[in-house]
Amino acid sequence: MLPYFVIVSIIIGVFLYVFSTAKAARAVAVVAQAVLTGFAGYLFFLAKDGDIVTHIGDYEGFLGMTLIADTTSSVFVALTAFLFMIAAIYCFNDDFSKLFWFLMFVWQGLIIGIFLTRDLFNIFVLMEVATVVISILIMYKRDNRSMYDGMFYLMTGIIAMQFYLFGVGYVYKVTGVLDIDAAAAIFAELPKSSQILPFALMMTGIALKCAILPLFSWLPKAHGTPSAPPAVSALLSGIYIKCGVYMLMRIQPMFAAIDASAFFLVFGIITGIAGFILAMSQSDIKLILAYHTVSQVGLIVTGLSIGYNYSYIGGLYHAINHALFKSTLFLSAGVIIKAYGTRSVYDIHGVFRRFPLVGVATILAILGITGAPLMNGSISKYFIMFGTTWYISALLILMNLGTIISFIKYSSVLFGHPEGEVSGEPGEGVSVGKQAAILILGTLCFLGGIFGREFIYFLFNVRLNVDPAGYLEKSAIFIASLFGGYLIFRYYVKKSVLLKRIREIDLGFRETCISLGGFFGVALLVASFL
Amino acid sequence: MNYEIVEIFAVVLFFVSLFGLITSKGVIKGIVSIIIMEISVVMFFLSLGFRSGILPPIGGDVGQNAADPLPQALMITAIIIGVAVTAVNMTMLIALSRQFKTTEWDLLKKMKMDE
Repeated sequence: MLPYFVIVSIIIGVFLYVFSTAKAARAVAVVAQAVLTGFAGYLFFLAKDGDIVTHIGDYEGFLGMTLIADTTSSVFVALTAFLFMIAAIYCFNDDFSKLFWFLMFVWQGLIIGIFLTRDLFNIFVLMEVATVVISILIMYKRDNRSMYDGMFYLMTGIIAMQFYLFGVGYVYKVTGVLDIDAAAAIFAELPKSSQILPFALMMTGIALKCAILPLFSWLPKAHGTPSAPPAVSALLSGIYIKCGVYMLMRIQPMFAAIDASAFFLVFGIITGIAGFILAMSQSDIKLILAYHTVSQVGLIVTGLSIGYNYSYIGGLYHAINHALFKSTLFLSAGVIIKAYGTRSVYDIHGVFRRFPLVGVATILAILGITGAPLMNGSISKYFIMFGTTWYISALLILMNLGTIISFIKYSSVLFGHPEGEVSGEPGEGVSVGKQAAILILGTLCFLGGIFGREFIYFLFNVRLNVDPAGYLEKSAIFIASLFGGYLIFRYYVKKSVLLKRIREIDLGFRETCISLGGFFGVALLVASFL
Repeated sequence: MNYEIVEIFAVVLFFVSLFGLITSKGVIKGIVSIIIMEISVVMFFLSLGFRSGILPPIGGDVGQNAADPLPQALMITAIIIGVAVTAVNMTMLIALSRQFKTTEWDLLKKMKMDE
């Protein structure tokens, strides 16, 4: 039954494109997304009792392609379906063409496929097609900026996948299989020398898809394109970037002889720190959010690479939390940008007065992303930090301080008085669907914090304990960083010339290709010495 | 004949195309380099199926000497995707050159901020 999750949404998309009108497509899309979410939730409950395995073409063993829904992948499938449903509700009152809905449904099927499949070549095909679909969605409005960003994203994404495919070729040459689990079993008995080259090639491709430091320059372009529909940006940052992280999680342990967790730990921390520095230098609200995704991906990769079970689960939970709060922020930013007609953080004031509900959801998401006590971000960050050495903890606290500073900057849009005459009641001009979508996500950020432990048990079948004293200590650190962050923002970030320079840093296409080559070289070197 | 030479050639071609990407001033050279990169990967996969004295697994009874057909099957898919990607790339290139009147990365980067 697993292939249907991939196929059905694509078929719905084709059906909408061929047979319906743009108006009907919206209604069908919302209903279809709700049904798909229901089925994905059902799959999640089924997968709790044991992995669901489908061999395509009934070739048992490792001859055919295998789709597996285990606890982790079924969580991500359910999350994908849920976020696409929210996006469909959000877009209900905008007049998007049939093409938009077609691409959205195809994209959803591809993402679900990436989460379910265990076949290396399948991942290549799904990722490559997703790259094309996304670049069309980014270019949807066809202005100068989005044309450049879409072209850039398409070309870098394809080059990364060629690196990946070359690595798959080496895996096939050495092991004779394309299945991740089978390749892992065979690699476990092979000497290290046979794994170095495929490791370096595949990790270079995957690192670009995860936006690890030197290879991140496509991410703010793709996620922060001003004219891309807000729902597309939200889904890109919310769920699509997790495909890269998920690939990293699945494929990195495949190379049994190379323990690359230290490598990714270092790169994760560097990415996390560089991400927030770039985020706080921006003044375009969509770009603040986009650069901040870089930082959060660094945090997730760090959590997954530390090596303790608690940190690993914390990293996974943070991936889900990040999907919730970043989608909230992107969707609400879409409402704000449309209403104010500007993206500059300094020109927008008084969102709270103008759109109270959107403001509340934004505040919940900001509290979540900064790790305020009782919010979902605090739980996942607490688990990531649980039991780490003091210097990693210090770096993680620094990362959180940076998050706080960039969101103090962002939250200045919420307060104050809107400029000029505001006509009508508060909340006017935003459709019910948009407000509902944003509020549902915002509420989930809050619930994910209060019931954090229960959520983790529910999602991953793992019972983790929150030590009250430790949690209190983290809350104290949060409040201290909040004050520190405010002071740094007030007296440094606002005036800094250095940050203005940093804002101008924009790696072009050639620089990204050089970074790809460089990252490949570094990965090769590190893999031979580890 | 030594079939390893195909594999080595594919690896060299891959890095030649990476060099092409690094030195590409314009989008067109980038697209051509990507095509070369795809071809090098295809060539690498095809070299995996080669061994001295093997037969194609078509018709007749080839028994133990049959070549591995999987790389070919995979590469048909990869070639199709490559063609589609190139088509999308070209379409975008046309739209890009109409809008910006140039296809050089540096100029595009400068002009993208004008709305």
